[in-house]
Amino acid sequence: MPAYCLRPLAATLLLLALTSVRLSAAEPVAGDVSADLATISGTVTYIADPKRPWRYSRYYVKSRKDGALAEAVVCLKGRSLKGYAKSEKPGQHKVDQENFRFVPETLAIRAGDTVLFTNSDGAVHNVMTGDGIDPFNVNMAQGGRHEVLFRRAGGTRRPIRIGCVFHSAMRCWVYVFDHPFFAVTGEDGTFRFAGVPPGEYELQMVHPAGDLVWSRDVTLTAGGQLEVDIPVSPDQLEKGTR
Amino acid sequence: MTDASLSRRDILRSGTIAAGLGWLGFLDPTFTFAAQGDDEELVPFLNMPRSRPGILDWETLDSWLTPDDQVFSVSHYGNPKVDPDEYRLEITGLVDRPVSLTLDDIRAMPKVDQLMTLECAGNGASKGFMGAIYNSRWTGTPLAPLLKECGVKDEAIEAVFIGTDRKEETLRKGTKRETTFEVPFGRSLPVEDAMQPELLLAYERNGEPIRPENGAPLRLIVPGCYGIANVKWLKRIELRDRRYMGRYMARDYVTVRAERRGDEVEFVETSVLKMNLKSIVARVTRLPAVDGMVPVKAYGAVWNDGTPIERVEVRVDDGEWQPATIDAEPYSKYCWRFFSIDLGKLSPEKHTLVSRAIDADGRIQPTAEDDEIALKRTYWEAYQQWPREIDLSEA
Repeated sequence: MPAYCLRPLAATLLLLALTSVRLSAAEPVAGDVSADLATISGTVTYIADPKRPWRYSRYYVKSRKDGALAEAVVCLKGRSLKGYAKSEKPGQHKVDQENFRFVPETLAIRAGDTVLFTNSDGAVHNVMTGDGIDPFNVNMAQGGRHEVLFRRAGGTRRPIRIGCVFHSAMRCWVYVFDHPFFAVTGEDGTFRFAGVPPGEYELQMVHPAGDLVWSRDVTLTAGGQLEVDIPVSPDQLEKGTR
Repeated sequence: MTDASLSRRDILRSGTIAAGLGWLGFLDPTFTFAAQGDDEELVPFLNMPRSRPGILDWETLDSWLTPDDQVFSVSHYGNPKVDPDEYRLEITGLVDRPVSLTLDDIRAMPKVDQLMTLECAGNGASKGFMGAIYNSRWTGTPLAPLLKECGVKDEAIEAVFIGTDRKEETLRKGTKRETTFEVPFGRSLPVEDAMQPELLLAYERNGEPIRPENGAPLRLIVPGCYGIANVKWLKRIELRDRRYMGRYMARDYVTVRAERRGDEVEFVETSVLKMNLKSIVARVTRLPAVDGMVPVKAYGAVWNDGTPIERVEVRVDDGEWQPATIDAEPYSKYCWRFFSIDLGKLSPEKHTLVSRAIDADGRIQPTAEDDEIALKRTYWEAYQQWPREIDLSEA
């Protein structure tokens, strides 16, 4: 067998070995369905209030009937997650500047992950932030690329707010976590975290573009499956989170 | 009286109608446009970025007077903070009786309203900058009587309007003659233009004190002219006998455009001042398909420098231009007008919609390919037609 075939095989074996070490050390990962661990899932829905219309809901609520809210960040917060094992293989994410937008606009990642910003527009853009421990401000010519390492978690309270100095309507939010139990909802508004250590947590939801903030305490039991729906309305509007 | 074509009653009536439209929008999260049915569903544009607070949201345009959260602001020398209690407006230079006025002095003068659409001269230069426009009822005192009271001397040719905002400017950078100096923001008007009855020293917008970023406590209002002429944080009016050549009169906000002279083209530089004839499809709505075809309506706005608008036409794909209905009210000479058109039933696929305006002088809003836009080198005065792409296929 040629050497180039052995390398992927070796890498796979090494990955499997590492995974088994992680499991035996009872350091669960998202998606782990061990009987000792818990699952939490649900749907984020937006309940419109005719007296307080959210002008931009058309971007995030595709169906007024079910109100499923897209691009909401949902996560768990709890003491037992402090010091959670770092990701062994940092994630690599992409945010493109396309049609005068950051795509995606809302991103949730783990500390240590990198984000590659690209500009596929026909205009000069920029990526900049004053948030976090590594502020940056980089002009992006057409076809430009800029990779950023997000070293420190800020959770839902301290997202990295990114903009383009040339086009103030362009906004992007990067939420950085120090554990794997987070998600950004799609058009169906759903989220699901499996392999969660039993315990008491705060289930949090933020929608940065809508200034919506929601949270609730939850208790997860070993092997339990908890369904929590998150209904939000203008009551959850929290100015100043943008 | 600030507008020769309007009575005070008309102005108040326009304001009332605008407030009524705003109320409709407030009640209904679908943002009913005048003439829009409750069952119409918004068809989002495919070729537009998302809208944000701080700039007009065309797709949900619902209020003739623009609410605060959709009002843009652009500043060139930063946003100065002006203490209203310490504020003074000076009128100096070639006048017989220079004055220094407090805000209370100005408020005690005759109070009038001026309805006006204000557009940034760069609005429409890119699809990321399409909502830098808003319509307002400005309240203040007319400038002309005040200038007359000060006695403008015969030798004065220009009124220069100086703002509180200041910044360093450098000329001939990188040469031996490089020079750097600090200057306040300024714009000028010929004395004759400055004496027009429509010009206002405004301290309120839509009945509220002007917001700091929009020029508080006092802003010059020049109806029919791009935003740059409406000097914010107004500090001084100087009557001068020489042309003022501040950066934003002479070097910036200058349109560079080639003009055809027979077979030749020649570049001409002109100052940005009067607003151009412009229309835009703001919103497209649909009803459920009937026999496989989709009933579609389009709504939009048209505005210019106050020249009467003859008509607005809308075209789907490469079809014939179809006349739109321009709302009779609300109406004020210097304000945008809303239009709508029933486009009938369209096939359930992608389409391109575009509007064009024609004024009483026969001027037609150009396409991006027409000479006056295509041969323009600067992005100011981007008044070309804006095609909107939509998708009517069933999800």
